[in-house]
Amino acid sequence: MEGTPKNKIMDKDGIRRAVSRISHEIVEKNKGTKDLILIGIRTRGVPLAERIREKILEIEDINLPLGLLDITLYRDDLSTIGVQPVVHETKVPFSIEGKTVILIDDVLFTGRTVRAALDALIDLGRPQKIQLAVLVDRGHRELPIRADYVGKNVPTSSKEIISVCLEEIDNNEEVILLEKSKENNSI
Amino acid sequence: MKWKPKDLLDLDNLTTEEIEHILQTAKPMREILSRPIKKLPTLRGKSVVLLFYESSTRTRTSFESAAKILGADTTNFTVAQSSITKGESLLDTAKTIQAMNVDLVVVRHSSSGAADFLADTLKASVINGGDGQHAHPTQALLDLFTIQERIGDIKGKKVVIVGDIIHSRVARSNAIGLQKMGADVTLVGPPTLLPTEMSYLGIKLSHDLDKELPGADVVMALRLQLERQQSGLFPSIREYSKLYGLSVDRIKKTGKQTIVMHPGPMNRGVEIASDLADSVQSVIEKQVTNGVAIRMALIYLLIGGGTGNVVD
Amino acid sequence: MLWIKNVTVIDPGQGVSGVNDVLVQKDKIVEVGPSFKAKEVLVKLGVTDINEVNQIDGDGKYLFPGLIDVHVHLREPGQEDKEDIASGSRAAIRGGFTSIMAMANTFPIVDQRAVVEFIKLQARRAGMARVYPISAVTKGFKGQELVEMMDIKDGGAVGFSDDGKGIQNAEIMRLALEYVKLTGCPIISHCEDEALASKGVMRRGRTSARLGLPGIPASSESVMVARDILLAAETGGKLHIAHVSTKESVEMIRWAKGKGIDLSAEVNPHHLIFTDEDITLTDTSYKVNPPLPSREDQEALLEGIIDGTIDMLATDHAPHTWEEKARPFQEAPFGINGLETSLAAVWQKLVQSGKLTPEKLVECWSLNPAQRFGIEGGTLKPGSLADMVLFDPLYKEEISTEAMESKSGNTPFLKKELQGFPVITWVEGRMLMKNRKII
Ligand SMILES: [Zn+2]
Repeated sequence: MEGTPKNKIMDKDGIRRAVSRISHEIVEKNKGTKDLILIGIRTRGVPLAERIREKILEIEDINLPLGLLDITLYRDDLSTIGVQPVVHETKVPFSIEGKTVILIDDVLFTGRTVRAALDALIDLGRPQKIQLAVLVDRGHRELPIRADYVGKNVPTSSKEIISVCLEEIDNNEEVILLEKSKENNSI
Repeated sequence: MKWKPKDLLDLDNLTTEEIEHILQTAKPMREILSRPIKKLPTLRGKSVVLLFYESSTRTRTSFESAAKILGADTTNFTVAQSSITKGESLLDTAKTIQAMNVDLVVVRHSSSGAADFLADTLKASVINGGDGQHAHPTQALLDLFTIQERIGDIKGKKVVIVGDIIHSRVARSNAIGLQKMGADVTLVGPPTLLPTEMSYLGIKLSHDLDKELPGADVVMALRLQLERQQSGLFPSIREYSKLYGLSVDRIKKTGKQTIVMHPGPMNRGVEIASDLADSVQSVIEKQVTNGVAIRMALIYLLIGGGTGNVVD
Repeated sequence: MLWIKNVTVIDPGQGVSGVNDVLVQKDKIVEVGPSFKAKEVLVKLGVTDINEVNQIDGDGKYLFPGLIDVHVHLREPGQEDKEDIASGSRAAIRGGFTSIMAMANTFPIVDQRAVVEFIKLQARRAGMARVYPISAVTKGFKGQELVEMMDIKDGGAVGFSDDGKGIQNAEIMRLALEYVKLTGCPIISHCEDEALASKGVMRRGRTSARLGLPGIPASSESVMVARDILLAAETGGKLHIAHVSTKESVEMIRWAKGKGIDLSAEVNPHHLIFTDEDITLTDTSYKVNPPLPSREDQEALLEGIIDGTIDMLATDHAPHTWEEKARPFQEAPFGINGLETSLAAVWQKLVQSGKLTPEKLVECWSLNPAQRFGIEGGTLKPGSLADMVLFDPLYKEEISTEAMESKSGNTPFLKKELQGFPVITWVEGRMLMKNRKII
């Protein structure tokens, strides 16, 4: 992401606390862990989902099934973007039929990624419920979608970018607010 | 990397990186094929024309499934149904297709160069579904994918391709693709079907199958056009099969758990014995499934996103 | 009356090669000699006023006897969408050819006197290059019965050929070489064994293997050259081998000439300029028969020209419409449009590079054809017909269908620039082309 850093929103501890709180809320809201499934949206939803799984294992001593979802083939902007997004494998090696799916991503913005993820999920089977967990909700929704679990609400302007960095991918751990310098195509 | 190709005409103008990118993209496609519901919205509203001047149900249906799974609409222009038989030129057919605002044309034609010709003429992307004796790049890619899936890295693996090499677009595209991926390829056939000019490939040519088998990781049999016997290219099916036919016994000479491939349709008992075709060493059925995955990958790469930077 | 001054005259027919003046009266050459004075000119041309003489400054340019192309397909009658006698003979003039020989593979085939006379009539109507018809050897090109050679010769044919098709039956070829002796004309042989050529579309070799195009082996030509040489030796018939394209053919022709066999041979410019390696699947303008040779063959062809084994250059001008060529390589027709580009191409690729002298070029493209086929032209000796070409070695032009007189544009030089073009062409003293335009 291109931009000039403006503001640090979360540091390492902040992220850790947010993940911990979300994990607790998931267990609380669902009254335990029965029929729960975690699915991380590639790319940064995946390490977040893994962290949530570890946290729940710590609290409840239950290792929840974890899947990875690639939403590239469900994007609604493929014909308008000039670039060629890489398609990755979706790995959901278990049935989601009748389960409660916790869909996990780093940032909730326009809602289009989540819309694509919902379509992708439903192609895999018919879950009982789908809930959404995000580390940051930055507003500016273009679709009627809201998160069930939010690490932090960050009011932003459309000229700003939220950049989430996670150790597993970026060798760095922080959430920062950037001023947009170039057109970017991510959703 | 950048993804530049508008068309897929052959493997010789693709870089190794681009080939690897295609094979990589086929993996998630393979996963989709294992789902109960095989239908994506990816290419909704895109249209794909299947222009088949040679009847080939297997290749056509493979492309058709690939396009449909990705959500594209497909139109068949086959020999029996269209003006092709009324002698309309390929150029006029191309103009008609152009007017239909098609996104992708898959062409199968008995003339070498027909796909290149269409790509030159059309704004739409073109995939070569086999042109004359020239190229059959999707077959080669699905073969590469299948080899990779079964035995991992292709680099350094010994591959023997046996049969009617000079008339085979499958052999040409495979030889090019395998070489780019670092395989050690040997072409085998009788001198009439493997003449010296095939040396252009810069790889080993041999007339003795039994001598080439030891150490082979992959042996690929080509379909023998039986009518070539009448034009004197080989004396009899009996002798051909004795010298170049694959069987369970003969394949033991590799001294390895060699995998056996065939682009299909097979002449059982001629280039490949039934016992081998149906054995665990045979990946012939896998080739069919992988064919759909490779073609999905190609269709996605050619008309799914833009051409330009590959972003992850 | 015409006085061309200070022009480099290349006329091997009278051993002239250097800066000279040339005088023309009506349709004939009067004299070629070094820098005449105005007074002399008046006397030589028999006039009193120098203003009656058209004076042209030839400084920096060459003057050749009009080129003679012994191998041209004019497509009329029958395929006038590709070319007709008028457009083809205009193209000839624009390319520097004052005489052309029209092949017989028209519809109907030129196998009767009436068709020969029709061609001559059409050529007279066009009033451009002189057109000499070639008659078929066998009726309908069927390779079975000989045409009425004597009657057809009396109608104006200067040679016999089933060009476009080889005569497969050796006995028919032998009989043709026997019978043709009555006429004094040569049999022009298109040497191609159909079984060997089969469905081939380019020279068989590594490039054909790479492109997956069916190949024509060199032997398809060479075995027929060998056969025809032996038949010519046995019969004593006059033989001309069209479009030689293999080194084996050159070697056999060299051997035959050593034996004193009555034969001549031509090479097409495209075989000297391109090889099979230039072929791509998407440019059918390189598709020609005989197919473009290997590099080794090409070297042998050039050597053959230099040592006199090969007597002539000939374009094998074979026009085809754009639509016919706009097909996949395998399906497009064979043939290269040559009349308007060949001289420039040979000049640029072979003369400028020092491989061929201007003298050799004129010998092969004017003198030898005239002598072999017994037609007028070929030299600028006093008393000869004033068929002449003023050639500017510095003139550059991008080849375009708009500028071409031919109805077709099937040349690999399309949209490419060549250097060295004829700038004036005279036939029998009449200026028919000036500054690259037909008058
Ligand atoms: Zn010919």
